[in-house]
This record gives sequence, C-alpha cells and structure tokens, in this order.
Amino acid sequence: MTGTIVDKEKKKVLIVNTNSGGHAVIGFYFAKELLGAGHEVTILTVGEESSDKMKKPPFNRFSEIVSAGGRTVWGDPAEVGKVVGGVAFDVVLDNNGKDLDAVRPVIDWAKSSGAKQFLFISSAGIYKPTDELPHVEGDVVKADAGHVGVEKYIAEVFGVWAVFRPQYMIGSGNNKDCEEWFFDRIVRDRPVPIPGSGMQLTNISHVRDLSSMLTLAVEKPDAACCNIFNCVSDRAVTLDGMAKLCAQAAGRPVNIVHYDPKAVGIDAKKAFPFRNMHFYAEPRAAKDILGWRCATNLPEDLKERFDEYVKIGRDKKQCSLR
Amino acid sequence: MAKLVVLQQKQPSFSILPASFSDFNGARLQTQIQLKRKVWKPKGALHVSASATKKILIMGGTRFIGIFLSRLLVKEGHQVTLFTRGKAPITQQLPGESDKDFADFSSKILHLKGDRKDFEFVKSSLSAEGFEVVYDINGREADEVEPILDALPKLEQYIYCSSAGVYLKSDLLPHFEIDAVDPKSRHKGKLETESLLVSKGVNWTSLRPVYIYGPLNYNPVEEWFFHRLKAGRPIPIPNSGLQITQLGHVKDLARAFVLVLGNEKASKQVFNISGDKYITFDGLAKACAKAGGFPEPEIIHYNPKEFDFGKKKAFPFRDQHFFASIDKAKSVLGWKPEFDLVEGLADSYNLDFGRGTFRKEADFSTDDMILGKSLVLA
Repeated sequence: MTGTIVDKEKKKVLIVNTNSGGHAVIGFYFAKELLGAGHEVTILTVGEESSDKMKKPPFNRFSEIVSAGGRTVWGDPAEVGKVVGGVAFDVVLDNNGKDLDAVRPVIDWAKSSGAKQFLFISSAGIYKPTDELPHVEGDVVKADAGHVGVEKYIAEVFGVWAVFRPQYMIGSGNNKDCEEWFFDRIVRDRPVPIPGSGMQLTNISHVRDLSSMLTLAVEKPDAACCNIFNCVSDRAVTLDGMAKLCAQAAGRPVNIVHYDPKAVGIDAKKAFPFRNMHFYAEPRAAKDILGWRCATNLPEDLKERFDEYVKIGRDKKQCSLR
Repeated sequence: MAKLVVLQQKQPSFSILPASFSDFNGARLQTQIQLKRKVWKPKGALHVSASATKKILIMGGTRFIGIFLSRLLVKEGHQVTLFTRGKAPITQQLPGESDKDFADFSSKILHLKGDRKDFEFVKSSLSAEGFEVVYDINGREADEVEPILDALPKLEQYIYCSSAGVYLKSDLLPHFEIDAVDPKSRHKGKLETESLLVSKGVNWTSLRPVYIYGPLNYNPVEEWFFHRLKAGRPIPIPNSGLQITQLGHVKDLARAFVLVLGNEKASKQVFNISGDKYITFDGLAKACAKAGGFPEPEIIHYNPKEFDFGKKKAFPFRDQHFFASIDKAKSVLGWKPEFDLVEGLADSYNLDFGRGTFRKEADFSTDDMILGKSLVLA
C-alpha cells in the first residue's frame, strides 16, 4: 500500500488555523512545507489580525509564510467563503475546531465550493483510556468527544478525507509551552514536580513530523483516503524521561520530585502540562499506508529547543513557578 | 480443522472443543469477549515458505517454543531432528492434539541425543548429518554456536532465538531493532552469539521475543497470576502497577520462526517478535482474570525496597517499562500476531493451567510477607 501514486500536481490548499494553543504551530509548519513543495497556500487564522494573540508565535512569524508566497487572512471560519474572497481550493485543512459547531460550516463550504480533499486535525485525546497500549487507529474513542462528531460528519459528507490525531509537539514557533515548562525549572535550579510515579508514558513529537504526514496525505490523496492517522512520533517517553532529556539538553542536573496531586490538593491539569496517566498513541497507519517516516529525535530536538530558549532570553526572564 | 468456541464469561471452567496443535496456524479460540479488531490491509510482502524440504536441526525443541515449531516444520514436510540431552520426553501429546496428529508427528520427528556443551560431539555428530538449516532455540553463549557452524560449512541458514533483553534500557520506547544494545545485560550471551553469526558470514536470522507465554510455558509468567487467582488471593504488584510490558504468544512466535525459513528478506536481519499491544502490570493481572473466568482481582501495590525477599522473586517481570516494536516483522515478513492478549491467555489457561497442569508449584511466601506488612499498616 505504500508507494502508491504520488500526486505531483500543484494544489491550492486552505488551512483554517486556530489562533492559540498547542495545535496552532501545526498550520505554520504545514504552510511552509507546502509552499516549499510548490503548492499554493492560504492560511485563515481565526479572529482578527490586530488581536493580541497575533503577537505570539507562530503568528508573529507569519511574514515567513508571506515571503514564501503564501497568503494570510483573518476571519470567522463560519464565514470562510467570504473571508477567502470566494476562492475555491483543492484541499482544505481544518486545524481549528474541536466540535461540529465550529467545523461544520467549513466542511459544508468546502464541499459546496468543490474542494476535492478534506483534512482535519482531531486529537488522540479522544481515545478511551485503557490498560493496553498504544492507542492504535481503530481503537475505541470516547463517544461524547467533540472531535468524534466532526470525524463522523466528515466521513459522511466528503468523498476524499483524512483525519489526524496528534498528541504533544515541540518546535520553534510553538504557541503553547511544552518543553519550556521543564527548562524554566531546570535553569533556575528549581525542582521539577511530576505528579504520580513519573512512569506515565506520553508521546512528544517534533511538529515537522506532523507537517510531513499532512503533506504526504496531500500528495497521496487516494492512499490517505478515508483513513484516520495518529499524528505522532513513533516513540513514547516517560514523564521522568522527558524531564531528564530536557536537563541533558540544558547540560544541567535535574531534581525530580514526585507528588500525589490529591494528597497535596493540586489540580494536576493546571500544575502540569501533560496528562497524569499513560497517554500514548503510535503512528501505525501513517507508516503502513503513507510510507511515512518519523524524524523526531527528542534528545537532539530538545538541544535545539534549549538553544533557542536561551537565545531569546527565557532563561533570564522572571517567571512564577509553583 | 478450525473449531469455533464460545467461552462463557465469569465461569471458572470452560467446555472446549480442542483445536489441533498441528494445525494451529489459523485455529484460534474465538471468544465472546468483545475485542476491537483492527482490520489490517494485506501487505505486499510475500509469504515465502521454503518450497523444498529441508533437513533441519533444532537445538532444543522439547520444552516450549520448539514443541510448537517442530510440529509446524514437520507438517510443512521438512525432516526435523531435535538435539537434546533427552531429559524431557522427545515427544509428548499436547492437550487438544488428536491421537492421529500426535502419531503422525511422533513417527516423523527425529532425535539426536547429546549435550551441546560437548563441543567435540556437536561437531562430529552434526557434520556426519549435514543439516541444511539450524534453528537454535536454546543457545545462550556464543561458544555453543561455533562448533555448529564449523560442522556445517554448507549451512543455508542459522535461525537464532535471541531476546529483547539485549536492548539497552532507555527512556524512549518501544525498542526498535536499530536501537542500542547493552553489552552488560543478563542476556549478553545472546548478543555475543548474534555478533559471532555476523562475523562468520553465515546466512543468519535472529528473532528477539519479549515475554513469551502460552500453554506449556516453563517460565512462570501467566502461571504466576493463575496460581493466585485460583487461590482467590490478592495479586501483589510492585510500585505503581503502571509499568508496561509485552507478552507474545508462543504459537505466534513459532509461526514467525517458520516464516523466516528460506526467506531472503530475513537474511542477516533481526526481528522483534511479540504481541501487537503492550500492557500495564495491573492490566495484565486483570487480563489473566478475564481469560480464566475469574472475578476481577484485588491488586495490592507495594514498595519492593521495604522488603528483603532473599533469593526469591516476588514478581515475574522486570520492574521497569519493557516493550519492543514489531513493526519490522509485520512490514518485512508480512507476519502478525494472531492472538491478542486475553485470547492468548485464555488459550494458555484452557490448554494448560485450567486443566490442572503447571510447571511450578504455587509459592506464596513472598506474597505473605507483603500482605502481612500491609495488614499491619492498615
């Protein structure tokens, strides 16, 4: 199934992108990769260009998209047709909505304006927790999750579609702190508090891997058609392991402190950037069906991330640490 | 002949229509337990089975893996010899194996009696026979392999049962075949054997299983849980119980061993062979209960550092995450495990422990130490 027809035709791609959160950076990398491959790209960011949210990465680097030949617009996805000025696209990616209310207008417009392929960034968070890992495409999902409703609707309405379920990602231009949470504490010689045993597995990918998977789906629409892809790296790391790798990247020691959130009266969801449980999906469908290869190398990638962290002066910045 | 079996949940014994072991390629106990089945699209990889009959030597073959492997090979028409000291019976009828199948197998399997540590004997006896393929199922040290290679200069393939235990412990999992290995591990003999095979220029294939389970397992893996479940005892699990491990059914492993025979794609390659999914320690306890029709077990977590168990093992698994990716075997060989965990454990239970057979007597002494302390603290 791998190595099927690669569509080298130039495509017109619309990315509807969220204006904040962990997934925001996906659209940024995807846009640049598509532009590099010779496709035409428009990125529609939710909200207004003048909003404060646009002062944060990756939005404050959108000039890179423009100088590569891409088009950047802002607006309400519910009025997507108007916002893009009545232009039609071959491929539409929704990297914004978490439920049908948010995504349906985009899906419906994409269909009626003749888009050939619809792509959706869902979430691996919809998998039902289980003792058996990893989460594999086809496993049971939480029926009431917003993303599930979207996935179902896309499958009903569109002929050629693909759904991507990511976990956590790192990469320059990220909107939400991931590794920075560890760096903040490590460079200030503060303990790194990790809930539970620290043995919990998670999956942290470099965003370029997510982008390459999306690009493959655009170039192999028939192979990708009607499939769900876990949009993640092919390795798990434990929470303790992540702390240690961050410390190694920083060239500093780390003092990990485990705690029981209930006993201490802390909401681990707010105190810690990862889920306090095993949360690990594998990208089996992408490898099998798209011939996708994982390039994430956490030890190396974190070194790059740390260099940037220092370069922008975050190691000296005042930060409030619990 | 495949037979469909319906298992009643929550009953301690099952009425089973036994599946013939010599035909277990496709036969599998079907269960009522709803498991989400993933539909795999067929891969491009060819199933290459050796079309010519081969003269095969199995080092070992009378205890666990070899019992299943030898049957598959004999059924495919190969001439199979088992090299063992003869401590275990050369043939034993397996639970569920028909008299006819057993008679057929027994009439064809050959035995070469000897001690593989007697290198001179190995060399002379093997060169006299001129085997074309060697399956080394019980080799632990590299020096055991040299005389075999010396005796068989025209050897077509050396197929080795290595171990995922050779991988260097890592914070990044699963283990892939390209990962770093640990020259100091308990399994370094396996590593040294793999290196020797590479250096000798022979056509070799190495399979690295994780934890193997299934009927006749002599390593108390599932048996350890079954003893406690049967006795209605709580299951003591060290630390969080979130540690992740991986079990692979012996029949799936045997099938993998057959798939690499005469397979160009397996030439000078290492493959991890185990189950499709990984499982937490707590999850494994629950899966064993489900497989045996026991009620959900009471799990007690404890800190192993608070106890001195002496030489006894309080828990059958290494206290760490330990699992390997089987992606390579799937994509290169077109192999995939047929048993998922609960089905596989049910197969083991129904054909072994559930019939009253096991290898090691129950020993709850470490459990009692743990439970005694918990009672005191409670």
